[in-house]
Amino acid sequence: MTSPGLATACAAMLRRDLTLAWRRRGDIAMPVLYALIVTMLFPFALGPEDTLLQRIAGGVVLVTVLLAMLLALDAMFSSDIEDGSLEQLVLAPRPLALMLGMKILAHWITTALPLIVIAPLLAGMLHLPGAVMPVLLLALLLATPLLSLLGAVLVALTAGTRRSGMLLALMLLPLCVPAVIFAAGAVAAAQQGLPWLAPLAWLGAALALAVVLAPLACAAALRIALDA
Amino acid sequence: MASWIPLWLHKLGSPPTFYRFAGTLRPWMLALALLFGLIGLYGGLVLAPPDYQQGDAYRIIFIHVPSAWMSMFIYGVMGMAAFIALVWRIKLAEVVAMESAPIGAAFTFITLVTGSLWGKPMWGTWWTWDARLTSELVLLFLYLGVIGLYHAFEDRRQGARAAAFLAIIGIINVPIVHFSVNWWNTLHQGSTVNLFGPSSIVWAMLWPLLCMTLATKFYYAASLFRRVRTDLLALEGGKDWVRKIAESEA
Repeated sequence: MTSPGLATACAAMLRRDLTLAWRRRGDIAMPVLYALIVTMLFPFALGPEDTLLQRIAGGVVLVTVLLAMLLALDAMFSSDIEDGSLEQLVLAPRPLALMLGMKILAHWITTALPLIVIAPLLAGMLHLPGAVMPVLLLALLLATPLLSLLGAVLVALTAGTRRSGMLLALMLLPLCVPAVIFAAGAVAAAQQGLPWLAPLAWLGAALALAVVLAPLACAAALRIALDA
Repeated sequence: MASWIPLWLHKLGSPPTFYRFAGTLRPWMLALALLFGLIGLYGGLVLAPPDYQQGDAYRIIFIHVPSAWMSMFIYGVMGMAAFIALVWRIKLAEVVAMESAPIGAAFTFITLVTGSLWGKPMWGTWWTWDARLTSELVLLFLYLGVIGLYHAFEDRRQGARAAAFLAIIGIINVPIVHFSVNWWNTLHQGSTVNLFGPSSIVWAMLWPLLCMTLATKFYYAASLFRRVRTDLLALEGGKDWVRKIAESEA
């Protein structure tokens, strides 16, 4: 049972973050540009052979999207910490985990969704067969929220520190290994004409677990990092 | 009634008591580590017979396997101390967790290095993307993440709490990584020493291995005690008991 106040607060939180992101549209384009450039570098480095590019396309797109998201993660709470609104959120008489969940959702919409939209273009640049494209998109749709949720916990932990960019990468790497394995496994299986549902089901299970636990962990981490 | 046990444990949690306790125990731990290490190495490198398939090259097992066990054991200790530190906010538990991390990272590193030295003659390659090797590498990154996060904070206690939280996330993550990587690729042999059920290793090779295991455990205790003692002195710098120690040694 949710009181109308809670739903209103959630909607307000989401609207605020989306509005803020929309006012700085240039920032939304950055991860997309980054992903495009990284993908473009692979044919230069490996040679423009279709067969080779085709074989690595799925993995390259996944890793590129992961790196682009990692780049954008740092900014998840930084402006809110600077102007003190994050402390207000911690003090607010609403469940912090729920509010942070909304922030994570807003962050996913503004960073991961554009990346998913251009993923077919990235995969097309590397000649991924069209039949595999839906599997790649499905894998991205399941893996990117998982990365946003895990990343949010780690960003919250580093909220009290100044230098966090490289540290964040070091901390996120062990956590994202399973997501990459299953997402890439599904794409590779689809490319070889094998059943690809099982790895996606695992990703879905992990996502279901993360949706429940990660906002709670994020709230706890933020309380530690802000020493509240 | 043994009511003195909880009382003793409570007392042990206070920095000055633990400082003295660790100081008394440390030389014994170091001596036991040396003793078992020497016996284990002599047994493993001299007495144990060569392997029918791998010849003498297998003898690296006496370093490799105990280190691998320690890399996981220390992560467990770190995770438990981290949990205690976060739930009961015990300063000593924070210190134990944070000072375990570099030792654990060192054992993980030794495991990876000896493993690749062993892999070259046996598998013909220094490194392969096998499940166990990859899990161990991920474990190293987990340790490094904890150490990095701890040092990223200005305030040491706040850093310790944040890093303790990361250690707990890591504990949940380790089985998931292990499982997913297993599903992905495997080449490493299964375990030969089983706690429950028969081990597929002869006694002449097993007892030096167990000796080395004990040696690494005692070494960990000795090293941990020394690190914790130093850290406690630094953390409690302004307190009375530290001043007394400083005065008595000056």
